[in-house]
Amino acid sequence: MQRRSTVAVTGTLVLALGLAACGSGGGSGSETTGGDEATDFSGETLTVWIMEGTNPDADAFFDEVTAAFEEETGADLQIEFQPWASAHDKFTTAIAGGTTPDVAEVGTTWTGEFADVGALADLSDRIAEAGLEDDLVPGLVESATLDGGVYGMPWYAGVRSVVYRADLFEAAGIEAPTSWDELVAAADALKAANPEIIPFPVAGDSQYGAMPFIWGAGGDLAVQDGDTWTSEVSSPESVEGLEFYTGLATEHGFSTAAATTWKETDLLAAFEQGQVGMMISGSWTPGKIVSDVPDMEGKIGAFPIPGQTEGLSDSFLGGSHLGVFEASEKQDLAWTFVEMMTTGEFAEAWGQQSGYFPGQTSLLEKVIEEDDPMVAPFAQQMVEAGRSVPVTPLYGQIQGKKTLETMLQSILSGSATVQEAADTAAADMDETFGS
Amino acid sequence: MADLRAAPGASLDPAAPADRPTSGTAPTGGTRRRRAGGLGHRSPLRPWLLLAPGLVVLGVLLLWPLVRVVLLSLQDYGLRQIASGESNWVGLQNYADILGDSYLWTTVLPNTVLFALACVVLTVALGTAVALFLNTLGGFWRGVGATAIMVAWAVPAITGTYVWVWIFDPLNGLVASVLEGVGAIEPGTVNWFTERLSFYAIATLNVVHHGFPFVAITVLAGLMTIPNELHEAAKVDGASAWRRFWSITAPILRPVFAVVTILSTIWDFKVFTQIYLMPGGNGGNKDVFNLGVWSYIESFAQGKYGMGSAIAVLLTLILLGITLVYMRTLFKEEEL
Repeated sequence: MQRRSTVAVTGTLVLALGLAACGSGGGSGSETTGGDEATDFSGETLTVWIMEGTNPDADAFFDEVTAAFEEETGADLQIEFQPWASAHDKFTTAIAGGTTPDVAEVGTTWTGEFADVGALADLSDRIAEAGLEDDLVPGLVESATLDGGVYGMPWYAGVRSVVYRADLFEAAGIEAPTSWDELVAAADALKAANPEIIPFPVAGDSQYGAMPFIWGAGGDLAVQDGDTWTSEVSSPESVEGLEFYTGLATEHGFSTAAATTWKETDLLAAFEQGQVGMMISGSWTPGKIVSDVPDMEGKIGAFPIPGQTEGLSDSFLGGSHLGVFEASEKQDLAWTFVEMMTTGEFAEAWGQQSGYFPGQTSLLEKVIEEDDPMVAPFAQQMVEAGRSVPVTPLYGQIQGKKTLETMLQSILSGSATVQEAADTAAADMDETFGS
Repeated sequence: MADLRAAPGASLDPAAPADRPTSGTAPTGGTRRRRAGGLGHRSPLRPWLLLAPGLVVLGVLLLWPLVRVVLLSLQDYGLRQIASGESNWVGLQNYADILGDSYLWTTVLPNTVLFALACVVLTVALGTAVALFLNTLGGFWRGVGATAIMVAWAVPAITGTYVWVWIFDPLNGLVASVLEGVGAIEPGTVNWFTERLSFYAIATLNVVHHGFPFVAITVLAGLMTIPNELHEAAKVDGASAWRRFWSITAPILRPVFAVVTILSTIWDFKVFTQIYLMPGGNGGNKDVFNLGVWSYIESFAQGKYGMGSAIAVLLTLILLGITLVYMRTLFKEEEL
């Protein structure tokens, strides 16, 4: 039943694509013409790299995709899973050796980098042909855009908000905060009621935890002026946000010295052990917490990161694109696969199974309508206050040298003041931007 | 070091069986044939011919990557160059950048050198002490002891590092719990990974713990070759254990100590895993980088492969220099 309807949907899409291709009169870059040819790729094999671990049941998912894809196009699908940790190196060597796959899942912060060296194909014409350009989550399109071209098809996205212990909040009569002052008050009340709890650990090895506060105070990481970027982390607004965020640890004592070197995974582990009251955490973590520690079921909640005085603070919108490699000789087949994965039923199923949000706006709206208490706050964060890091390959280098983490750790360990650390970070960024 | 040790072994395998009738016989056979056959002009070439297969393998596997790293270190080489396959020569710019960077002189080099120095001294001292202890035991208990310390050696560096990180975990670690138990600290108030000195103290524990079994086993093997009579004679003369170690054991084992010291120095200079996997060691805390981590971060985290290669070449040159000094001291003393 499920299978048949899936095929029907994708069939319609492919047909629509074929018609659209006919209608455009060959003005596009695609060399194949005619709707009938688009459905007959029998004998061909499409190689696809997918990152490991996003979907706990990826094998079953891709069995279905492969069957549907073969039925639709006649071509075989070869899915190869890659671990995130070594994926960047693997891409680099594949680009160097000319052994790239036809299609790959590319992390949103890498797309610009690979597009910049000419490894990825521009998909903007195909997206327009398919009539999808107004139905994609803007933040994900932004991170795939380089010099007017779109080099990755938005697939799924995740965003960080605050995950908290609803049971402790309720017992102490605390409401979910809606401003920074209320956040401090909530942490104070939580600490008073549960002295053994770390109310709000500030993880020093997590850049994404600091960004909402830099943005929330009106600051920014870097701004573009023409072709050049300039760091903004030492601006008065950014510093104000950083002072508040690190102040949660250094002034209010809501954190612990241990958290100075914590990564997000350490934060999650401490939360799962019941030591943490609130934390900045991803939309994909509540499901993991409950499956790791079944006792937590019903004891956790989430709220969007509050704005300084009202509204929300922006949070980093991360996720994955599906990119088609320029070197692939199967551009049409590759696009058929990309469209099948990122729109309609398969995109929806992937989101449900993995705890991420689909990259298609119409699907995302459907998720929001469901109003799941563990999903809705993240969805709200994503739609109303999702934001991308500076879209330039140089920012990848800055992330590589962990400029923001270095800044956070030096503030939290007390080896530098907020202003000093921010100045160092800004100089470090500008050095990379300048080269 | 690898070249010296591997060359004879690698060349024997392919060459020896093929040429057994002539070269495999006793030296006298060779000289007689040379005199009789007048084939003397071929003999200077022959060793090289026999070595050729091994040298070719070594050249491809060892020499070419080395040459490649040196070539890379003279370029501004990033993802763009990798993708296009083009070269981008900048001469000695990378070296000038590194050597002109005060970060190298104030942080990276002191970290690398002092850490390696501490590790080598402690590893060799502890290893020797354990070897001396094992040497006094009977056969059974010596076997038990040797097996026990070999376990520390067999543990992969990654696993060992995580164990030490857990032991020193500021919140839930063993050390924090014990110190809490005696009322010294409140858990979570002290983070040993953020301070350069305490960070390296933990790293030193880890590296010494991982490295001493090799020294212990090697020195033990050496100790067992020292004739007992020497010690007995010295005892009769009234020499203390301390005196006997420095007057008998140490001089006899000098070559053994030289080998373990050189190897330990090489290993401890290029420590990477044990630093990189510690909290803050992967880039978040620039105070704790050593040359290996710095090279990795530059190359792979930032895609500046030229700069990373230059750091790696620098590390190799330092190691070559140190090894050279060691070898010279060793040979000079043997000549005396």
